[in-house]
Amino acid sequence: MSQPLLSVRGLYKAFGKVVTARDLDIDFHPGQLTSIIGPNGAGKSTLINVLTGALPADQGRILFQGRDITGLPVHQRVQMGLCRSFQVVNVFPGLSVFHNVQIPVLALAGRGRRVLGSLAREQEARRETERILEMVGLADKASQPASALSHGDQRLLEVGIALAARPRLLFLDEPTAGMNPVERREILAGIQRLSRQGVTTFVIVEHDMDIVFSLSDRVIVLHRGDIICDGEPSAVQCDPQVRECYLGEEVL
Amino acid sequence: MSRTWIGRLCWAAVLLGLLVVGLVGSRFVLYLAMRVMLLAIFALGYNLLFGRTGLLSFGHGAFYAGGAYGMALFYLHLNPDPLLGILVGVAVAALLALVIGFFCVRHTEIYFAMLTLAFGMMVFSLIWNLREITGGDDGLVGIGRDPVFGVISIARDGQFYFLVLLCFALTLWVVHRIRSSPFGLILAGIRENHQRSEFAGVAVKRYRLAAFVISGAFAGLSGALGAMLESNTDAFSAHWSHSAEPILVSLIGGIQTFSGPVVGSAVFVVLREVIERYTENWMLWFGLILLVIILGFRGGAMGAIERRLGGGES
Repeated sequence: MSQPLLSVRGLYKAFGKVVTARDLDIDFHPGQLTSIIGPNGAGKSTLINVLTGALPADQGRILFQGRDITGLPVHQRVQMGLCRSFQVVNVFPGLSVFHNVQIPVLALAGRGRRVLGSLAREQEARRETERILEMVGLADKASQPASALSHGDQRLLEVGIALAARPRLLFLDEPTAGMNPVERREILAGIQRLSRQGVTTFVIVEHDMDIVFSLSDRVIVLHRGDIICDGEPSAVQCDPQVRECYLGEEVL
Repeated sequence: MSRTWIGRLCWAAVLLGLLVVGLVGSRFVLYLAMRVMLLAIFALGYNLLFGRTGLLSFGHGAFYAGGAYGMALFYLHLNPDPLLGILVGVAVAALLALVIGFFCVRHTEIYFAMLTLAFGMMVFSLIWNLREITGGDDGLVGIGRDPVFGVISIARDGQFYFLVLLCFALTLWVVHRIRSSPFGLILAGIRENHQRSEFAGVAVKRYRLAAFVISGAFAGLSGALGAMLESNTDAFSAHWSHSAEPILVSLIGGIQTFSGPVVGSAVFVVLREVIERYTENWMLWFGLILLVIILGFRGGAMGAIERRLGGGES
């Protein structure tokens, strides 16, 4: 198999006595759509927070494309190509949809340092922003303030902002939370399409089992900070330990 | 497109009006107009931090004083050149802002505000106590206005006025450029959501610090010109009560607008001047009027006008 995009070695994170990551070793490979599942409190969100830099790791190393990023701040990880979206809507509410996406585009291109330059003349950033808005289907709402969008559209914008950072690896924290079934199908189709293009590798945290098993190439099951199962969806579905602690018989 | 042209015409009219005032205005009117412009320079820079980046500082009096004392000390001890003196004042203020800002931008909201307040009070007490250098509560006196480039006299108020007007126009231009630059957009993003800004690849602290230093530099410009206008410096210019002025002015005019700090400065200076004539308790009446403006026009005077015209700035 190819060199892993992101490698986690001996990752340990605890809040007081609650261990949310116990000596985790994980490799994420390019192009492999991976889902992380587990009951509430399993450590899924903490894992994303630690890997993207929002929380420091207690122990262990994180390697991104072979480079140790364990101590790097968030914005540097993003600039290297490691990005995330959020479980709750987390956009720039008072700015237009266009500006929401333009901010990461400018930051990634290193254009934000232009203190006296004209924003209107940033042709390349404008084109890139339009391309991303087209991709997430918000092009016709570009001039609206983000706070005026429907919840589903705000979730799309959320993904758009994350994609605008041109990530190599993108963590999506419950990307379909609060969406109606139509929006849900659309965004999942979008993720699958983008994943096949191979530019961005997706790692998804989800609660909806239908989504997880239909979409993923690989499923990782977390339980109280441990990986209890890791493999293809069909294998995970049949794993007795997973059934016991998490899925419950009726799901299968 | 038409709206930007209306805006440009308005600004051209304002600057032209100020030019005419400079040519025909009485000494008192000149002085008042200069005070408005100085406060506007202070507030325009300050509002890049406050309205744009979303950081409330209670310590910008320190940078105003940095500009004033930097300019004055340079004039008294080293070189009487006015432009050089102004540059030194701005540089001192910016440097002071860099040092203080370095510690403050690590925090946000109330912690940021309290830190700036603490640093501001430290600067004030330094100025107050270092009598040999700063003149303590007397301030530094005898700051003259030598000719610019050795030929253009600015000694009389009627002449100095045009230097102030030039600096005011320059400030308007620079602040406008910053607000419509990529940098300006990223500052707005930090105001709206600093956590998300980091996940958009923005080095948030560095941008906050940049905004802090830029606003400090404009405070310094205002302070240096103020010292030249009054021909002395005042320790209380570093006091937190003076730091509150650009906040009030921005709120009166509208913190989300470009013109807000300018309009607010005019209202502030003129109102204060008028009320002071009728009563010694000017603060009481002034406070009441401020209350009405701030509660009555949410988003400030210019914010209310822009809403009425429809549309707004980002």
